[in-house]
Amino acid sequence: MAIVKIPIGPQHPALKEPESFLISLDGERIQEVGMRLGYNHRGIEKAAEGRTYIQNIYLLERVCGICSHSHSTAFIQAVEEVAGIELSRRAKYIRTIMGELERIHSHLLWLGVAGHEVGFDTLLMYSWRDREIVMDLLAMISGNRVNYGMNTFGGVRRDIDKQKQQDILTAVDALEERTKYYAKVATEEITLIKRLSGVGYISKEDVYRLGTVGPTGRASGMPRDTRKDDPYAAYDEVDFNVITDNHCDVYGRTLVRVGELMETYKIIRQLIKNMPDGEIAVKFPRRVPAGEATSRYEAPRGEDVHYVKGNGTDKPERVKLRAPTLANLQSVSKMLEDNNLADVPITIAAIDPCFSCTDRMIRIVDNSKGSANTTDWETLRKKGIEWYRNEKGIDFTDLNKKYANIRKVD
Amino acid sequence: MTELNLKKEENIQQSLLSKFKTLEGKITVKRARRLFAEVDFSNFRDVFHYAVKDLNFNVMCMITGLDEGENFSFIYHLANFDGVILDVKTSVPKSNPVIKTIMEYFPGAVLYERELTDMFGVKVEGLPEGNRYPLPDGWPEGQYPLRKDWNKEMLNQKEEK
Amino acid sequence: MGIASALFNIIVFPGFLFLGVMGLILEYLDRILYARFQNRQGPPFYQPLADFIKLTAKEEIIPEEADRRVFKFMPIIALTAATTAFFYIPMWGTSALFSFTGDVIVVLYLLTIPTVSFFLGGWSSTSMYASIGAVRTLTQLFSYEVLLFLGILSPMLLADTWSLSESTIYYQHHPVMMLLNIAAFAISMIALLGKLEKVPFDIAEAETEIVGGSFTEYTGRLLALFRMAIDVEMVVGASLIAAVFLPFGLMLNPVVAFILYLIKVCIIVFLLSLFRTLFARLRIDQMVSVCWKYFAPLALAQILFVMIVKGVFL
Repeated sequence: MAIVKIPIGPQHPALKEPESFLISLDGERIQEVGMRLGYNHRGIEKAAEGRTYIQNIYLLERVCGICSHSHSTAFIQAVEEVAGIELSRRAKYIRTIMGELERIHSHLLWLGVAGHEVGFDTLLMYSWRDREIVMDLLAMISGNRVNYGMNTFGGVRRDIDKQKQQDILTAVDALEERTKYYAKVATEEITLIKRLSGVGYISKEDVYRLGTVGPTGRASGMPRDTRKDDPYAAYDEVDFNVITDNHCDVYGRTLVRVGELMETYKIIRQLIKNMPDGEIAVKFPRRVPAGEATSRYEAPRGEDVHYVKGNGTDKPERVKLRAPTLANLQSVSKMLEDNNLADVPITIAAIDPCFSCTDRMIRIVDNSKGSANTTDWETLRKKGIEWYRNEKGIDFTDLNKKYANIRKVD
Repeated sequence: MTELNLKKEENIQQSLLSKFKTLEGKITVKRARRLFAEVDFSNFRDVFHYAVKDLNFNVMCMITGLDEGENFSFIYHLANFDGVILDVKTSVPKSNPVIKTIMEYFPGAVLYERELTDMFGVKVEGLPEGNRYPLPDGWPEGQYPLRKDWNKEMLNQKEEK
Repeated sequence: MGIASALFNIIVFPGFLFLGVMGLILEYLDRILYARFQNRQGPPFYQPLADFIKLTAKEEIIPEEADRRVFKFMPIIALTAATTAFFYIPMWGTSALFSFTGDVIVVLYLLTIPTVSFFLGGWSSTSMYASIGAVRTLTQLFSYEVLLFLGILSPMLLADTWSLSESTIYYQHHPVMMLLNIAAFAISMIALLGKLEKVPFDIAEAETEIVGGSFTEYTGRLLALFRMAIDVEMVVGASLIAAVFLPFGLMLNPVVAFILYLIKVCIIVFLLSLFRTLFARLRIDQMVSVCWKYFAPLALAQILFVMIVKGVFL
């Protein structure tokens, strides 16, 4: 077979967001990789200049569907630094808890996607089922499964009271048990290991040279974690380890992510145990003084960098942001060199590129009454289950029992 | 947090000052782990080289482009492994926006520099051939979205003609 | 045999109609088991049929570059070959509809044809994904086909026959001898997984890499036929393994034997679904090396073992 060029993207089953990789193949071997990015460019930086700071929180929260809390926190931290506002400790703790819960849901999501990319759908189904636990937790705290809208200037918008703290701890226990199981699967399942180890190799030198961030960098032995190096929110008050690995391949990235999940549970427990009392938000001026600040945030995928410049009005002069995927994409072509075609999806997926999710809250307009009422997630779910039982004769009771068994609630 | 000792940051400030006398008063320690330096364009290359090679600022977080009326400014956000960020800012006049690439220091910088080209119309010397980023291929010439005098109506006018 | 009864055999029983229904049922079984293993709800029982009807109603799109005749012809060949193979397999009696000495070779040969037609169909559609899928289909064929032949060879050698019907008769009288073929049974199951292109051997249609492999460009009725061919192949493959490795209870009342046959086929599908749940998809090079390094020597050892047993004890 002569050398063929095969396009992976902009639309391709392996990619969850539009990017284009043009891959030259000699048989199954990859010769060359061309990349074309920017399909998802939405002009957010320009849009941010024309909106007020408050509007921008919600705009920037929608940069990414999965790490929405990361982007809004990184932005707000920068603005707070410009304005010279110091948060209450409780607000910092709540932000940190949200960030860590988001990390859990992102890493579990990744685990599922990775499983799917190597044709191991069972892992996808299991890890996404367990991910529902943390999604429900996030919905309980903030009202939304994604795009939580928790942050506001000077603090957070919702409190985490004693009852919710208890719920978080219960869920974390259940999740920890499941994560141990996944760690076991990842280290013992032969075909999975065969598909992951040695794939997408990137050496320590290249990781440093190309500025790779997040779990991708840490899996190549780069002990860089913004939470540790440049602590923000409440990270200087908790004790945790930076997980690194020396496999330098997708297998290493899997181990790092699973290891990070375990650290995350540890962090959440500490945060809840030491949760201080106090106000959740302090007053914040509408106008932000002139000045500039750079803020960093360790999102689940790596380091988010935001730069904000204020000019004394209620709109920012300039907002610049960099998502971790951008930093990591440059290492992808390096990783793909001399690999097999079959390894392309998992290698691309292994840097965990961002993609958008949709909100699950909907507004139902009752036409007969002409009134709009908002239905919450729990009612919707019940309605869905009822509908399936009555209309389709499908009963979820068995599955629900199993599910409840895992999460240890009735 | 700002009351903590800033020894690390001040050391970096001192070494930059002792190497480059012209930077007197232009380097500020903004808070713990944040340094800011404003550098003339003629001097930028040397300062950048020194910061990367001798002060071990091994990570380039991003390049921010700014439209400041008469000038374009660029902030190179450099970080080291202690979590310190050094923002190096430099400016070029809008009439002749030409800078040189920093790809020999950070090969990964290519995307940030292409972004400057697309969004501000800055010419970056030494960039390899390749796909543009992030604007689409059919984007009209002479339209640079992040310039302050650009708005989206300009795009429609162009298309009508 | 009259023309009427021959037509009945071909079209209704055990021909296209019976095989089609059986194929859909087994597909449902496979899907629901796969779903339940994965903690999902799974499809309702009529889903495979609904899929089939929906596909047949869809528009057929043939790529301009494609070789139209080959492209349209291949699904029919695949289905016909798989169906024909079924006539030679004894299911609920000791004799098949047709049988002669050497029919086992014909069955294996007929079972190879669908795979070759997948290759030709994919290759003729000229799409890049389909071409790569087609080449992978062939590469795969070389790794599991020999295993299947070696696996089936062992019980045949023991029974000292080249006819499936005769071998079932032999094992009716010596059921204990079957225990000597357990390794061959395992190897044949693995080869069947490869033949049906199921995880861990679904390399040829790995959707995350090459979209749909050979079938990328297929739509509408042609795709429906291909999918039906795979279903029928599953029935035939499972029946073949049931006939060769589980030839028990065939002397009983035909109704009881038929139910027994269904149970055997269900067990085999259950095993297939289980494997599908347990493993990740292998890479093509890994599959070839696993098949040749481990399974082929095992199959040869099995044959050697059978020959020694036969020479020394029988």
